[in-house]
Amino acid sequence: MRDLLPIATLSVFFAVLALLCWVIAIALVVGALVRRSQHGRPGRLEPLRDDIGRAALTLAWLVAVVTTLGSLYYSKVQEFVPCELCWYQRICVYPFAVILGIAAWRRDAAIRVYAVPMFAIGIVIATYHTWIQAFPPDNGTSFCTAAAPCTTRYVWEFGFVSLPFMALSAFVVMTVLLLVARPAPRRSAPQENQ
Amino acid sequence: MSNKPSSKPQASAKVRAASGAGRSSSLWLWLGIVAVILVVGVVAVVVGRSSSSGSSSGGSSSPSGGTVVPNGSLQYGSLDVSGTALAQAPETAGATDPAVGQTLPTIDGQTFDTSRITIGPDGKPQVVMVVAHWCPHCNAEVPKIQQWLDDNGMPADVGLVTLATANDPTRVNFPAGDWLRQKGWSVPTLLDDKSNAGAKALGVGGYPTFIVVGADGKVVFRTSGEITIPQWEQLLQAARTGTAPTA
Repeated sequence: MRDLLPIATLSVFFAVLALLCWVIAIALVVGALVRRSQHGRPGRLEPLRDDIGRAALTLAWLVAVVTTLGSLYYSKVQEFVPCELCWYQRICVYPFAVILGIAAWRRDAAIRVYAVPMFAIGIVIATYHTWIQAFPPDNGTSFCTAAAPCTTRYVWEFGFVSLPFMALSAFVVMTVLLLVARPAPRRSAPQENQ
Repeated sequence: MSNKPSSKPQASAKVRAASGAGRSSSLWLWLGIVAVILVVGVVAVVVGRSSSSGSSSGGSSSPSGGTVVPNGSLQYGSLDVSGTALAQAPETAGATDPAVGQTLPTIDGQTFDTSRITIGPDGKPQVVMVVAHWCPHCNAEVPKIQQWLDDNGMPADVGLVTLATANDPTRVNFPAGDWLRQKGWSVPTLLDDKSNAGAKALGVGGYPTFIVVGADGKVVFRTSGEITIPQWEQLLQAARTGTAPTA
């Protein structure tokens, strides 16, 4: 299994995906600001905005699924022991691999009311965790134990992408995606019968 | 605005975007995402391959490049030694090493994150490196060899393993895990216990010590003190051939 999924390859893959999350999140925020500056006048951005609004829930769900699988890969295949902070972040993302799937299926953008607060908690923890991995405190942290140290850089790509940074990227892009999500009708009858 | 979930998902007034739904399609978006993911995958395979394979030695799945091996802050390991300890290294340089030809004992212990790691015969030539976090020669040797590993990749045909011994909280760079993490040390490392049972089992007399072991699990050569990169390459060659370097 480990030979099949070499860590060097997968870590680069996940690290690039994490950076992609930031590109998407920033593009969406900038797009929203530009659109707002047009004061609701229908502009050229409208069709694009509709497409994105429709796809956003499914995209957020995919991010949750990939994040969950990535996390399980590092702990079950590579056998990295998740630290306490890792567990809190996992709690904030694992359920949404299922919940966002259901929401995407039902086109229920109101899920954001439940999901965004969880992601906000995740963002706070992941930010702190990213910080202490980048700049390990000299005297340790109250969360760290020798058995599962939270300052260990199991992954350190491009000089700054750590596992908590990946989690942070996922939380941020999922939050932004949920905020831009719009419910949209199923387009045709056959799809409804799937 | 009402966005409560409803069993009838789409009431007409509910959805502002509905007006555009028939006309525009998200297909381009999904195709774009699939394309981007494929590109990222290809990049990862290429980068991952180049960072984990050496020019002459072929690939290995050992972490290298950007990914640092698990490094916790465990201060002392707990370990079990089985097999016969190697003879103590001779005090005088050039004396015949009584450990040559002995079978490497098996040390079953922990690395810095407490996960299990074993030093012992594994059917493959190997070089066991013994270091102490406070020893200046080790402090100079570790980055030198790491640089070589970064340039050449982990050798696929020779196993590398480190024993971090003589752990002492009163001396610099304690705990050893923090020290080796700072050095970006990508060789799997077993952490000795408080009584240095691991170093005793290897008959270590000084730091760093290099123990060259053949594919048959028998000691080919042992040396202590800082070595140069050409000497390091000789050690790898000695492990492959099962013959001690002559120089």
